[in-house]
Amino acid sequence: MLTQFGATAESLSKASTMMFRIGTDAHLYDDPDDVSIAPLLDSKFESEKCEALKRLLALIAQGFDISNYFPQVVKNVATQSLEVKKLVYLYLLHYAEKRPNEALLSINYFQKDLGDPNPLVRAWALRTMAGIRLHAIASLVLVAVGKCARDPSVYVRKCAAIALPKLHDLRLEEHTAAIEEIFVEDMTMPHELITTEYMKSMIAYRLDYNLAFDNLHIFWRIYLSSSESQHIVGMLLKDNSPGVVGAAASAFASICPNNFSLIGRNYKRLCEILPDVEEWGQIVLIGILLRYAIAKHGLVRESLMLSFEDLEIQSQEKDDPESSHLTVRKPFDGASLDICTEIADIVARSYLEGPDKYLARLGHVNQDSLGFDGSCITSATSNDDVKILLQCTSPLLWSYNSAVVLAAAGVHWIMAPKEDIRKIVKPLIFLLRSSGSSKYVVLCNIQVFAKAMPSLFSPYYEDFFISSSDSYRTKTLKLEILSTIATKTSISSIFLEFQDHVRDPDRRFAADTVAAIGLCAQKLPDVSNTCLEALLYLALSESSNNAVALMGEEEILLVQVVKSIMAIIKQDPHSHERVIVHLVRSLDSMSAPAARAMVIWMLGEYCNIGVLTSKMIPTIFKYLAHRFHSESVETKLQIVNACVKVLLRAKVEDISELRLAISYVLELAKYDLNYDVRDRARVLKNFLSHCKGFNYLEEADYRTEFNDLTYVFAEYIFGGTKKVPSESFSYRFYLPGSLSQIVLHAAPGYEPLPEPCSFADDETGHSPTNVHNDHESNEIDDSDDISGSLDEENTSDYSSESVSGEGGDSYIASDSGEDEEAGTLIHLSDDAPDSGDHDRVSVKNTSSGLMDAGELMSKRALESWLNENSDSGQNSSNLSQVQRSLARISIKDIGQLVKPKSYTLLDPTNGNGLSVIYRFSSEVSKVSKELACIHVSFSNHSEEPMCNIFLAEEKPNPSPDSSEKSGSPSESVLVSHDKEATLIPMEEIDRLNPGQPADRVLQVRFEHHLLPLKLVLSCDGRKQQVKLRPDIGYFIKPLPMDIESFLKKESQLPGMFENIRRCTFSEHLNQQNDKDEPPQKDIFLMICEKLALKMLSNANLHLVSVDMPVAANLDDLSGISLRLSGEILNNSVPCLVTLTLKGTCAEPLEVSVKINCEETVFGLNLLNRIVNFLAEPPR
Amino acid sequence: MLQCIFLLSDSGEVLLEKQLTGHRVDRAICDWFWNQILTQGDSLKLVPVISSPTHYLFQVVREGITFLACTQIEMPPLMAIEFLCRVADVLSNYLDGLNEDLIKDNFVIVYELLDEMIDNGFPLTTEPNILREMIAPPNIVSKVLSVVTGNTSNVSNTLPGATASCVPWRKTDLKHATNEVYVDLVEEMDATINRDGNLVKCEIYGEVQVNSNLSGLPDLTLSFANPSVFNDVRFHPCVRLRPWELNQILSFVPPDGQFKLMSYRVKKLKSTPIYVKPQFTSDSGTCRISVLVGIRNDPGKSIDNITVEFRLPPCVTSSDLSPNYGSVNVLADKTCSWTIGRMPKDKAPSMSGTLVLETGMERLHVFPTFQVAFRIMGVALSGLKIDKLDLKNPLSRPHKGFRALTRGGEFQVRS
Repeated sequence: MLTQFGATAESLSKASTMMFRIGTDAHLYDDPDDVSIAPLLDSKFESEKCEALKRLLALIAQGFDISNYFPQVVKNVATQSLEVKKLVYLYLLHYAEKRPNEALLSINYFQKDLGDPNPLVRAWALRTMAGIRLHAIASLVLVAVGKCARDPSVYVRKCAAIALPKLHDLRLEEHTAAIEEIFVEDMTMPHELITTEYMKSMIAYRLDYNLAFDNLHIFWRIYLSSSESQHIVGMLLKDNSPGVVGAAASAFASICPNNFSLIGRNYKRLCEILPDVEEWGQIVLIGILLRYAIAKHGLVRESLMLSFEDLEIQSQEKDDPESSHLTVRKPFDGASLDICTEIADIVARSYLEGPDKYLARLGHVNQDSLGFDGSCITSATSNDDVKILLQCTSPLLWSYNSAVVLAAAGVHWIMAPKEDIRKIVKPLIFLLRSSGSSKYVVLCNIQVFAKAMPSLFSPYYEDFFISSSDSYRTKTLKLEILSTIATKTSISSIFLEFQDHVRDPDRRFAADTVAAIGLCAQKLPDVSNTCLEALLYLALSESSNNAVALMGEEEILLVQVVKSIMAIIKQDPHSHERVIVHLVRSLDSMSAPAARAMVIWMLGEYCNIGVLTSKMIPTIFKYLAHRFHSESVETKLQIVNACVKVLLRAKVEDISELRLAISYVLELAKYDLNYDVRDRARVLKNFLSHCKGFNYLEEADYRTEFNDLTYVFAEYIFGGTKKVPSESFSYRFYLPGSLSQIVLHAAPGYEPLPEPCSFADDETGHSPTNVHNDHESNEIDDSDDISGSLDEENTSDYSSESVSGEGGDSYIASDSGEDEEAGTLIHLSDDAPDSGDHDRVSVKNTSSGLMDAGELMSKRALESWLNENSDSGQNSSNLSQVQRSLARISIKDIGQLVKPKSYTLLDPTNGNGLSVIYRFSSEVSKVSKELACIHVSFSNHSEEPMCNIFLAEEKPNPSPDSSEKSGSPSESVLVSHDKEATLIPMEEIDRLNPGQPADRVLQVRFEHHLLPLKLVLSCDGRKQQVKLRPDIGYFIKPLPMDIESFLKKESQLPGMFENIRRCTFSEHLNQQNDKDEPPQKDIFLMICEKLALKMLSNANLHLVSVDMPVAANLDDLSGISLRLSGEILNNSVPCLVTLTLKGTCAEPLEVSVKINCEETVFGLNLLNRIVNFLAEPPR
Repeated sequence: MLQCIFLLSDSGEVLLEKQLTGHRVDRAICDWFWNQILTQGDSLKLVPVISSPTHYLFQVVREGITFLACTQIEMPPLMAIEFLCRVADVLSNYLDGLNEDLIKDNFVIVYELLDEMIDNGFPLTTEPNILREMIAPPNIVSKVLSVVTGNTSNVSNTLPGATASCVPWRKTDLKHATNEVYVDLVEEMDATINRDGNLVKCEIYGEVQVNSNLSGLPDLTLSFANPSVFNDVRFHPCVRLRPWELNQILSFVPPDGQFKLMSYRVKKLKSTPIYVKPQFTSDSGTCRISVLVGIRNDPGKSIDNITVEFRLPPCVTSSDLSPNYGSVNVLADKTCSWTIGRMPKDKAPSMSGTLVLETGMERLHVFPTFQVAFRIMGVALSGLKIDKLDLKNPLSRPHKGFRALTRGGEFQVRS
């Protein structure tokens, strides 16, 4: 009590100095630790505890670490006072992760609070419990969430929905331990445990959940929690209260954004409830519904996204009666229809594929049409789902929340028929008045809309007029939009505005305005004369200004003015001769070097377009020669260039007059201080004696030896009117309203729209065996037949061989893995011809079947390569040699170390004696570069022969060969109908005798989704669901490159594209003990090859280089680095891996793994995978 | 989703941090941010989305306080910005303004509010009425009480009933001794007058602000005499959209107390109530300035709170300005503000003076923009008229009141 009194007295004394702070917590913030906090926490008075906690909170606010009070604070969680509770929770949430053991003490109280009659207490307990992030209690929290999701109080249910992502996030982290264990587990597990249930759960669990599979128990727990949380999301999405639905939507978006079946079941209801959902939930829900609609129904035929296709159709069907109907719409789109469709097409592609992928593809593959067949396009008028989505989002355009408006506008932008997009314009523009911060974001989005469809915004140009209170960035955005949407009718008022802005005190902005004027003039030739007049006037007045008071700021404007004039003149130089003359005459007063340089460029370029200029030229060159020494480098270079141009174009009679001045200039330039100028002058001087016998020419070509040739080059470089290269579209478009659109790179977690019609599901979403006729599935089946026959050739030669190695036992039971070894070696020989090294092939073939020999072989190959490398230095031809031998090794090594890589697809107990095992192969598919190859081995362990074994992708409609009734039970798999990978099925096995094995190749496109692929295995007419679990290490293919390009590429991918993790590598220790090899063998080499083997056998990469420190201690391995490269299968984005070692050879090495990859998410996943298998104990 | 929210003072000091998810954000990000502000100048303060090497930052600046939120993953940026604005609104509402001291004095309340407003980076309760029920705003009584007894709790013991109702913005069982509802039309005039003195753009941004003190669950309908003047509209979530779509009637169950029912825009107005005519004449290194202010179209009510603000161009070294009415104040950053107050009846206010230009500069070639602020009570310049306000389930006949007010918004005169 005494302390409390003291504190009060003190607060009084403080209050006396500052009356207005009476009774606030000011003193606590100012001097949080002026009393001893610990005894207060132990006090029996709530008010003292409260004060102590407030002091702690003040310390947190000021950034002090006060986790040492944790034990004392935790005790107080049992309090009855809600305020103390709240403060304790605030503290707990801040520090629980640091003090997990103590935090566990509080769990009982949370459990108790969860049963409290007061919903507020329940909600708080749940929120805190989920927020303290302890792995140990994750399952408890899940139970609690499940319970609270059924709570009578809406608020508690809402908190439960929000708690789910916390759990999910915790699980993501849990993965730091190796995920691989599951597979190890899988191989050693007793057969009885491997049931369908197990298989299902194992594969149902996605790789990206990053789990630790220490044992089956944990595995089960995690599987259950994952499915359980999705189950809860599903339940909450069905909740009656809109508030809960909103929170559930956000949980859905972060837990299972692609589990469209959950949405499918509730789609209509979700649309209808949308206007009642609270604003934050609306934002997320709109996005989810949009993705669902696209995945389910595809794009809308009438929408802007398909206008390009529309146009194509239009041009193709000219004589079609319907085309007249199409052209009616043309005036609507305005005069700039052709531009806008082009951009709209890019926009659509970017939305669907992500601009990085799209732009990457632009580089090497011809632009092809979006490639939708009729089935992926739907119609807004006939499709109810699309119609209802548009209907329900349109009132949201009146929302108070700008994010909701933008999200709703995004839906209309993508899905609405072109005529209806208009609807979004006014609400979007109204957003500009809401708040300064959102204005910028909205403008960024409008800019994209306006680019793709200028006609939308052109009537509203006045709304983009610039206010002096706008920030600089807002101003530039508005300028850009204005110049995009300017039309013949509006340009006069826009131009008047621009003229005002030119006199704005902010010169940077004035310069931008000038640039905008230039753009408008280029776009609308009608006004180019007016613009030019104004610009010229400006240039003349500016240059005179400059002459008086020269400031850095002023220069920007002048340079920009000249630049804009230049751009306008370029379009039609002949009619603007007068302007050039004016500019040249004002050259004397122009002081900005860049501006001078440009004027001189124009002079040279257009020296003979009219009478006036050619008359001026000799005088001007005299002037330039006179001034040459005082010019800046930039200007000097242009003067020298202009000399050549003038000489090339001048009439013979003028030449003599010019000659003196020009040779004087060149002579000066030859002794210039700047070497660029000297070099250029020297080259010209060199040609002086050659060309046409009287003149000098040329600048940048050093190879020319013949007079005529120099002249030709000069003509080519300086002469000829070059076409201005049309602006290439380097814009990056991201989904409207996304963060990526603002920062203009794909932020982590950004996902483009789902592939149209990728989600084929009926309303129930539950019965996979349901026969459902779908266009696209049929088409896929058709293409499958073709590719299947291609595969046949690949598989045929080794399927016969593999018989020899096949044992009678099941694969799983065999511990030595000999038969697998045999299989892999055969696989090897199958691959070898590709490498084109014939002796090696023969060696390999002879060694097949002998595991040790094969292994030795691979060692030798690597060794020889390593030696070679160290001997031959950096010779590039050698390097390529290196690459080839290496690629061979990588294939072989996978063959060698395949043991952890064989997964069971179906075990004999469950498959009536049929056992199916698969492994990933490093082959690149011959059908498409996006396909990953998987080797599947079948073997019959039963007494009866089996017929018609076939493996196909699970589809609502069964594969063509199975007309029989489906026999598999339709279990409700929660993770069903996720984004499915496409599959090129294998050749059917007609008959499989008892004990007979057979191998096939499957080619699968995983789209680097780490979801298990659901397959249907039909055998003797029976069908069985199996799941194929992707391995991210095989979503890439080797990308051969040399070390220079590797380093170059690496330097281009810094910052957020780079991820590093560390792990320990201890495999070499065992190796040293096991092997009888003499210890003199280069330990460096051995470790390098061990590491390389490990990498190459677990991921489909190309080994670029192995660097060893030269002057290292014999025992010290630090500094060894391995570089590997690969590219992601489906989008060819390069992915660079660098391993750097640290430590000595006698102890476990510390390996730091670095990944540079533009696809950050993929990169992170791959990194986790690499770290996992590196840390995996040697086997 | 958001990972962390920082509140920064205008000197870059971190007032408080609230970690929202398990992915802790280090305070160092604030140092980075502030360094950027220092190196790039204040213009960065106006950029709402910044990408730092480690995080994406969203910022909203209100009265010197920077609300900074961090995220590492994709999320709608407007959601973050809108949320930060909402936090700023709620805080200034709770604390009666915003400044460094107020936040420090009430940091516990700020923490409690933030904790209720956002959970795991996703907004939880942002409706001010509900928040007020959950966490009591500081007031004199509670302050005095806390000094005397040393004991206070501003955390409510019960969950507000509204969280469960279908009108989450309203308390369920309200009792008011006086049943009254006031509707205010608050309009702001945005106008741009170009250098030739022509009206380039003139429009009204208006809000219908309602102050409702009604018992029970009242159902109101508000109709306008001339709804056709609206160019665009936005509504409070309580407004039913269907009746508006059908016959432009606002039907709603109001939250308790003051709230913005709708905002609207009326475009293409023909004239402004006042005019401002600046004039510059340069002559050999000095520049004479004269500004005239007067009434153009008498709105019928008096115009007051008139101020004219402009910023002298950087090339002006010194200025000497004198008005014939009101007072002129020149700040260090060359911002001049001329406070006129109420428009005098007998004379037109004018200001004149000389500006001395930088040496070597003959005449002024860049010209400032004048920002004009004014207020007219009792008039809605858009011409919008409220027709009637009906109460569907009246317990007793409420007292209804209507008011109108027009202010100068972005009223700019270029010279």
